[in-house]
This record gives sequence, structure tokens and C-alpha cells, in this order.
Amino acid sequence: MTVRDRLASLASLQPPRKPRVAMESGANRARGFSPALPAGAERLAEMLQAKSLRNLYGEHLSVRKWFSEAIGCEPPEGLVSPEALRLLAPGACAEVSDPRQWLFLDTETTGLMGGTGTYPFMVGIAWWDAGGLEVEQFFMRELSEEHALLLTLAERMAERPVLVTFNGKSFDWPLLETRYRMTRKIRAAAPRAHLDFLHPARNLWRVRLGSVRLAELEKHVLGWNRGADLISEMIPQVYFDYLRGGPPEPLLQVFLHNQMDLRGLAGLASRILALLADPQTDGKDGLELYGVSRICERRGDMARARKHYAQSLDAVLPTETDRAARRSLARLAKRAGDLSLALKLWESILGVSREGLEAYQQLAIHYERQTREPQRAALLIRKALAELRPANRNAGLSAALLRRYRSDFERRLQRLDRRALVTGRTAGTLLDRINPESRARD
Amino acid sequence: MAASQSGLAGGLAAGLAVRASASLETVQEALGALVARYRADEVLTAVRHIPAREAQFRAMPAWVRPELAAAYHAKGIEELYTHQAAAAELAHAGKNFVVVTPTASGKTLCYNLPVLNAVLGNADTRALYLFPTKALAQDQLAELHDLAKRLDDCFGVFTYDGDTPSDARRAIRERGHVILTNPDMLHTGILPHHTKWTRVFENLRYVVLDELHTYRGVFGSHLANVLRRLARIAEFYGSKPQFICCSATIANPGELAAQLIAEPVHVVEENGAPAAEKLFVFYNPPMVNRNLGIRRSYLNETTRVAKELLARKLQTIVFANSRLHTEVLLTYLQQANRPGPGEAELVRGYRGGYLPGERREIERGLRDGRIRGVVATSALELGIDIGSLDASVMAGYAGSIASTWQRAGRAGRRSGTSCAVMVASSAPLDQFIVQHPDYFFGRSPEHAYVQPDNLEILVNHLKCAAFELPLAGEERFGDVDLPGLCERMGEAGFLHRSGGNWHWVQEAYPADTVSLRSVTSDNFVIIDTTGGTKGGEDGEPEVIGEVDFSSALTTVHPKAIYLHQGQQYHVERLDFEQRKAYVKSVNVDYYTDAIRYTQVRVLEIAEEEQIAGPAARAHGDVLVRSQVVGFKKIKFFTNDNIGAGKLDLPENEMHTTAFWITLERKLLAELPYALSDRQNGILGLLYAMASMATLLLMCDGRDLGTAVCERPASPGVETEWQQFPAALNDPAEMKEFFEPNLYLYDAYPGGIGFSQPLFRVHDILLRRTRELILGCPCEQGCPSCVGPAGEKCEKTKEAALAILQRLCV
Repeated sequence: MTVRDRLASLASLQPPRKPRVAMESGANRARGFSPALPAGAERLAEMLQAKSLRNLYGEHLSVRKWFSEAIGCEPPEGLVSPEALRLLAPGACAEVSDPRQWLFLDTETTGLMGGTGTYPFMVGIAWWDAGGLEVEQFFMRELSEEHALLLTLAERMAERPVLVTFNGKSFDWPLLETRYRMTRKIRAAAPRAHLDFLHPARNLWRVRLGSVRLAELEKHVLGWNRGADLISEMIPQVYFDYLRGGPPEPLLQVFLHNQMDLRGLAGLASRILALLADPQTDGKDGLELYGVSRICERRGDMARARKHYAQSLDAVLPTETDRAARRSLARLAKRAGDLSLALKLWESILGVSREGLEAYQQLAIHYERQTREPQRAALLIRKALAELRPANRNAGLSAALLRRYRSDFERRLQRLDRRALVTGRTAGTLLDRINPESRARD
Repeated sequence: MAASQSGLAGGLAAGLAVRASASLETVQEALGALVARYRADEVLTAVRHIPAREAQFRAMPAWVRPELAAAYHAKGIEELYTHQAAAAELAHAGKNFVVVTPTASGKTLCYNLPVLNAVLGNADTRALYLFPTKALAQDQLAELHDLAKRLDDCFGVFTYDGDTPSDARRAIRERGHVILTNPDMLHTGILPHHTKWTRVFENLRYVVLDELHTYRGVFGSHLANVLRRLARIAEFYGSKPQFICCSATIANPGELAAQLIAEPVHVVEENGAPAAEKLFVFYNPPMVNRNLGIRRSYLNETTRVAKELLARKLQTIVFANSRLHTEVLLTYLQQANRPGPGEAELVRGYRGGYLPGERREIERGLRDGRIRGVVATSALELGIDIGSLDASVMAGYAGSIASTWQRAGRAGRRSGTSCAVMVASSAPLDQFIVQHPDYFFGRSPEHAYVQPDNLEILVNHLKCAAFELPLAGEERFGDVDLPGLCERMGEAGFLHRSGGNWHWVQEAYPADTVSLRSVTSDNFVIIDTTGGTKGGEDGEPEVIGEVDFSSALTTVHPKAIYLHQGQQYHVERLDFEQRKAYVKSVNVDYYTDAIRYTQVRVLEIAEEEQIAGPAARAHGDVLVRSQVVGFKKIKFFTNDNIGAGKLDLPENEMHTTAFWITLERKLLAELPYALSDRQNGILGLLYAMASMATLLLMCDGRDLGTAVCERPASPGVETEWQQFPAALNDPAEMKEFFEPNLYLYDAYPGGIGFSQPLFRVHDILLRRTRELILGCPCEQGCPSCVGPAGEKCEKTKEAALAILQRLCV
């Protein structure tokens, strides 16, 4: 057995999967575009009409294209509403309000796990220009072109200091920072501000759409269908196949995908900013209103949050969201001292649900501490405990949560009963009238 | 080590003459009660009194910064023990070194003093401390926090492991001068994200490896490769750290350290620390059947020993060698030490698989004395702080002398008198040790072996290395042909060559799929579906623990009785795909023991040689296929076999290395025995040979597998391979061997480097094996030599010796 055979039998060297694309014949390779580049590099550049950019650290491809529109929206005019920015990026620098300073960014990478061995083989950027959207895509024809690409990117970013991404705060930008550090020589252009639209999109549409993938948002929020699109999980393999000498055609799909992501992002950004500026203008979509309220609440704008929660309740909401909105509004009302509204909302959602149990608890606290009606509080808690009986448990709540509420209610009830007893002894047999068994049990 | 040898009277009298402390008297009383029914010198094969020893001091070195010296002074440390001073000087001179110290000799100062001195001198200095377990890192944190407090918190000390909350991680990376972590976290959490650790790596001046002796075999071979990766990354950021290592007593600490860090290492071996007096006792359970060589069950005897000690209010730790035995002993001891009504258990269990919160609670209970006894696996062997206990009882030999001393050291760490009792099982190794106490009490003969260039391990780490930083063509990584390997990894689709470098081109994150401690990183979780018994109304399923992949098939197979905290659980269902075992709490009077079949195929012979017999010896590459095919039900206390069951579980395949002896047709034909006796003799010989091999290799019994298979016509040929043979432990059902191969294989994919040494020392191996069998007092074979004698096995011992006779000419 040769060393080679030994190696071949190592478990750790078994190929994880077969390359999907067959190797090209040697003819392509022999054309000698550049011996250091994969066989498909030249044809790829031709098909894309891409040019090769050269700098201090070498070369990489660049493809530029101008679009008269982003997806589903007109280019913005003038400055962004300060109302919206306050919700989106409180305390950010002045440049943020000027869309001409924005640089949209989206990367395609060799993996989704991050870490030092993941390469951003394609970096797409876009900016508003001449009444449309200019998209530029950088591409590493070989992994060795990374440094050149990173340098060009740093230069472009320096021109527009506001970074705009979708999930870029936790993925794309940290990954690029890692890449810059790995060069040990090229400095990343630190953005003056970073707007990321993943979380706002989640708040606004997750309940309705279930997922907040960009393509879904384009379809349902912006009303634009991408058509055939690559499944993003396949992207790394497409690139690997190309690196190993496979045909370049499948990469065209990746370029297109990245382009659409950038256009979708630009459209979505405009749409979200408009919503945050004034949700009323967009008709009465209860779920969107609810989402805006949540963002307002998170940013501490309680007055706006109350207003929009109330508006969302006037519109149509699915049962669960309706309950959540009532609970949130009740909390805000209580905090603002509007107890009658809070009581009304709590009364309306009592039941075995996350919000319903909290409502029981809040009402009990209210009757015990505010109105000093321990009997009424006890009655309510008994009802809650009766609802919590296992037979009735169907709300899909975690066992730990149910346990917590049950023990809270039991403790509360003991205290209330003790107090009611003391009151009962002096004030007669009120307790007996309310609940005859409880006496017998003591 | 002054020791007064043997016999209860002599040993204890000498012990008492030195210092008649109350606890020594108590121990004597307990031992007296134990041996009352037996001949003391037969049962207590060694009673050594290890007297207290004075400390040897040196002055605090002049270069130690005054504020640090003051901080130590305030803790009561004005001078250094001699070994601490020697370590400090080596550290100051920038050398790599390893300090060999017994338990409780102030080893932490050996690294804390130089490291903190450097940090105080330059606040940019960074140090990485590696401990083999998370718990040990937690334990060291307390000591460092105390020093930090005395030094106005001018440096940061943090643990960084899987339990570190993610929001704290960034701060730790920026502000930690000393980071306490473990090899696994370095491997999966730090190195693959080194750009987040720029500040640490740019200033990395010290790497501390504590409990160095634990890094042997598989774990050590992995660690050596993790350290190769660490060195690459440090170099990338322009630093070259100095290594400070601490080890328990082994024969080759310097060699081990040098292999692990791939740098020359100085060794500090003299010990200047004081020691409290200790009584060390070897207890060999009495014979119940001299003919069959059967002794009383060592688990039952361990229980008796522990009961006597606990009854005399001595806080006691009991060590068992497996999870199963931990739980069996726990069951026995909890029954014997019932708490008062409404009180918590006085005796608790402690092993891997318990959840962290449960462990912390037990550690606290031991420190404050609420828990009187604990039954543990090796999980408590290393320095986890459980305070000073009075007695340590070991159920069976720990497998190595170093571990045995560490287990013994859990009793009486700081002062006073303590005792350690090793109860021997009938395993050959145990019997060898208790009958040759000088082997144990003399200078350590134990070598720790690692095989950093095991290809399977190395290639896995090479993938991680490429992920961390592209591999340059001219780089070195261990003693292998790196360009050739990279080429091959490129063909397999893991690497891609670009601009002279090899880049990682996989979506997968390689470190995630490489476990430093076992073959796979898969764990099975144990889910209790009993319901209703404990949680009141909502008896929802609850995760009660986990077992690693390799032991899952033998411990949580369907119908197994799984023991957890003394509670028995019946395994209702094993979901192999989802790695889940569903169990229900039960109360039965038996436990289960899995039956595993093994088959070996030779892939490539590395060396082969004809030897006397006629026979041949060889080593090379093999494929081992094994399967758990059934289980036995064994009754508590009596150990009767009360039933069995069949199992249909997936088989495991492993490519590894093996040493084997081929017995030729002629040899077997000449033996004057019936077929079944010959077969028994072959199995008995292999049994004894495996025991002596673990002794020679200083490895764990689990590191070596055994199998007997027909010699293949030529390597790779499918001989006798299609079907697993019938139960190997029932020779009656076995096919006749014409020319059997007796295999001792490395029980790890790729091998851990045992096969070639065995090939080299085969004559010593055979001679020792013969001595073992000849020296055993049994008549027909027993668990201490050729394995347990069953029915129709009267000639096992004789036949094994007859074969050896021919091999040893």
C-alpha cells in the first residue's frame, strides 16, 4: 500500500460531496488567458462585459450597471425624514439623512458560518446616482485577488460613508472586517454610520410573512417578483466549482442574485423609511402599524408607540397579534397612568396565553395594591389557577413559563387568603360568601 | 519515601509510632474492622506510612516587582519553595519548562508569579492558560481574582469557555491580560476567529499548560496539533510565546512537553513543598474460591471500606473507573447511609454527564461538609476545589500511577493525617500492582505517549489550520510531506491552490467536526419521559444528562438500564439518527452489560517477522469492525447473570494500526489439547497479553482493543469477513482457527502509536505475559491471568502456557 493509498483511506480525506459540475476539458485551460486563473475566468469577463481593475495589490473584476429604479420604489428626493431616522438610527451622524452619502452593500461568500476561512468572493455595492441606482460588483477570479478587491472596496466606501445593509451588522460587515485584519496591511474604511434593515423588517413583517428573506419581502411588500433565482445555499458550491475549472455560466446567476439583493435592499430601505416617517399614509395595515409601534417602543418613543398600537387595534389584526398589541398598549397605558384603559385591555385578554396570564397577574396586583380588594384579587387568581389545570393547557406555552405562573399564583393566593381571613374575622364572613371551600380547607 | 512494609500489625504500628493522631487511630480502627475476618497480610498487601515532610525554601527573587511580592506576602507567602524558585528563574530567563509536582505543592505560583510580574511590568502583556477541563479553569480563577484584588485590579483575568456569555466575550478579548480556557475552546472558539483576538495574539508572551500529563494518547496528539496551529497564528501576529507547563509525576515529562510544544524544554523535578502524613493501603479482596482464583467482588469490598470510614465520620471520596461503577457504588452507599427524613442525601455521585449546576452544588456541599461522601469518576481527580477530605478509596487501580497518586491526593491536601485505600479488582493490572507494591511506590516508570503525526488527527488539524490562514507552500506542519498532503487535500476538494498558497474552500467549519477527545463530537442526550413522578402534574420530558458517541451504544442501547444519580432508568428507545435516548425511571434489581463483537481485517503489513513457535509477529494497518449485538442482565450484589437480550444496532468501522501474532497451523496441531481447549487457550493468552501490553505502554485498557481472527490469505482479502463470528466468549460456538491472528489494535482511528513499540518489545511482552500466568495462584485460570474460567474451561491456563512455552523459546 502506497502512502497515497493510505491517504486515500483516511476518513478525514473523504470528499464531503462530489462536485456537481463536471470538469471542463483541457482545451479551455490551454487557451492561456492567464495560467494563474481558473479556466472559466476569461469567458466570465466576456459574458459580463466586466473589466479588470488593477491596483497596488493586483487585479480583480468589476461589473457596473445603472438601473433606472430600485425594486418597487423611486429614488429618494431630498433628505430623509428625521422622524424615521430617530427610530432607525438614533444619534447617528448628519450624513445619514442624505441618501447620496449611502452605500448599499451585500456580499456573496464561501460560507455562512463566518470565521477566518470564509471568503467574500463577490462584494456588491450600490448608490443612488443620476436619478437611478448604480450597482458595482467586485469579483475575485481567484482567491489570491482578495487583497486587490479589498483595497478597491475601501476606496469606494471612503467616498460614501454611510453603510446600508440587510443583516450586514451581524454578517457582511464583521466578515469584511475580518478580511481586512487578515491582510495585516489594508485598512478598512470605517463607515461613519451603519443602517441595517433586517431588524426593522422583522418587526414589520415577520408575523405576516413568516420569514423575512429579501426575496419574500420584495414579492409581498414591494410587489416585485424576482422570477428564477438561485437558492442562496448553493452559492458557495457554484463558486468552488468555478475555481476548480468548471464552466463560468452558473456564476452569472450569482451576479444576478447579488444585483437583485442590492436593488431589493435599496427599495426596502425607502419603503421602511416611509413607513417609519408616517405609517398612516400607507393605508390601514394593522400588522405594519403594530410593527412600527414596537420599533417606537424599543426606541423609547412611548407617545408614538401608544398612538400606533391603538391604531393597529382599530385595524384588523390576527388573534395573537391583537392580544400582543393589547398587552403592550396596557403596559404603556399603566405607565402613563391611564389605568382605566389598562384595566379594560387586561380584562379583554384574560386566558391561558403569555399575555393572558400576565393580564391575570397585573389585574390581581391592581386589585390587591391599588384598590385594596384582596377578595376580588383572590377570586381572579382562583379563576386563573382553574384555567391552568393541565386539562386546559393547549396554548403551546413552555412548561417552565406555566410553572412560573402557577407558583406565582399559588403564592399570591396564599397571601391573599391569609389577608382575607384576617379581614374576614373582623368583618364577618365575607370570605364564606365568596368562596365557601377555602375556609374548610384551612 | 520512608515506608514500613507489610502486615497490618507492622504497618499500622509503625504508622502510629510516628504520630498518633486521632484520625490515624480512627483509620486503624476502620482497617481493623475490615480485616477482622481475614488474614490481615493476605488482604492488606501494603500499608505504607508516608511521613510528613518539611518545606525547603529559597528567597523571593530580586526581580519580582515589589507590589507583587507584597501581594504574595499578604497571602502569607514570603519565600518560595525550591521548585517554585527554580521555575521562576527559568521563566525569567525566557525558557520553556515543565514543573513536575505532586498535588498541593503550590504549582500555580510557578506560573502566576512570572506571568503577573510581566503583566505588571508591561500592561500589554497577554497570557493564555490552558486547563484540560472547564471546571479546573473556574477553580484557578478564584486564586487569580484574589491576587488581582490585592493589586488594585490593575490586570484582567477571565475564563473563556463554552459557558462564557456572548455579550461578555468582546470585553474579555480586549481587557483580559490572563485568559483561562481549555484546548477545546482554543480549537473551536479562539483560533478560527483569531482576528477578533488580534490584541491577545500580538502580545502573547506566555502559554501555560497545566495538568500536562493528561495530554497523552488521543487527547495529547490532538493538543500537539492545536499548539502547532497556535504557533502559526502567533507568528502571523509577530509573537512567539514562552511555554510554562505543570505535570503530575510521570517518567518522561520533558519528552512529553517537548513533543507537545515542539520546542526544547527544561524540567524542574525537585519538590520543596511540605507534605502532611498519609497512610496508603493496598487492599486485595479475599479469595472465595482458591481453585478458580475468585475473589470477593471489589465493588462490594470498596463499599465495605467506605462504609467503615463513613461510619467513623471520616469524609470520604470513592473513585470508580467507569460511570456504571460510580452509580453501582452510589446505590450501595446511599442505601447504607440513609439521610434523616426530609434531609438531603449524605452521599452523592459526581461524574461527567451530570449538569453543571448539579456539579457546583455537590462541590459546595463537600467543601462545607454537608455531604459526607462522594462517589466519583476521574472527573474529580484533577484539582477541582472540594476542600480537604479525610479518606480516598479507590475501587480498582486508576490505570496509571500518576492518576492513583492524584486520587489519593484528594484526601488531606493541606495538612493533618489522611488515608488512601486502593481496593484491587481481579483485573490482571490491579493484581500485578497490589502484589508488587514496590513497582508502585518506587520511581515512576510511566511514560506518556503522544503521536502528533497520526495522519487522521494531523489532517483534521491541517484543515483547521488552512481555514485559519492559507497554508504557504514552504510551511512546515509536523513531520509530514506538507506539499503532498495539500495536493491530496486539494484533490479531495478541501483546499484550493491560489497564488502559491493553499486556501480552505468548503462551506463547513472544520473545527466543528473535530473533537479533541473522542472519535466524533456527537453526544447522545438522555431524556427522561417518566413524567408524573417528580414534577407534579406537568411531568414533561426532561434532559437528565448526556453520553458520548462511543459509549452510547454500550450504555443506552434499547432495554439497557442506565444509572444516573443512583436512580435506574430503563431505555425505552434509542433514536440513533437524532442522537437521543428516551428513558423511564424504574426500580429493578439488576444492571445491564453490553456484548460487543469485533472483526479485524489486515490492510497493509508494515513489518513482519518469523518467530519461534512456529509463529509470526507483525504490525501494520487494519480495519476494525465492531457491533454491539446484545446485552446481559446482571443482578446487583450477587453479580449473577439473570438474562440476556439481542440488539440490532449499526456497526462501527475504524481504520487503525495493530500489532499481531500469527500462530501457525503446525504449532496448534502439536498441542496435546482438544479443539475447545486450544481455542480457550488462545483467547486466554490474548487476554493476559493485552493486560501486560497496557502496563508496558502505560496506557488505558480502553486504548487497546483485542480480537482473534483467522489469518487472511493475503492483506485485504475477504476472509471470514462477511459474517461476525459467534460470541467470542463462548468458544463452543466458535469456528475452529487454523492459523489465527491475535490482534492488539489501537482503539482510535489512525492509531495512537502503540503498534510499533509493541512489535519492538514483543519478546518482553511474551515473557511478562508468561510470568503473569505462571505467577497467578489460581489453578485453571482466573480473571487475574487468562480471564474468567467458565464451564468446560479447565485447561485454559494450561493451554495458554503451552502456547507461550513454544513462543518464548
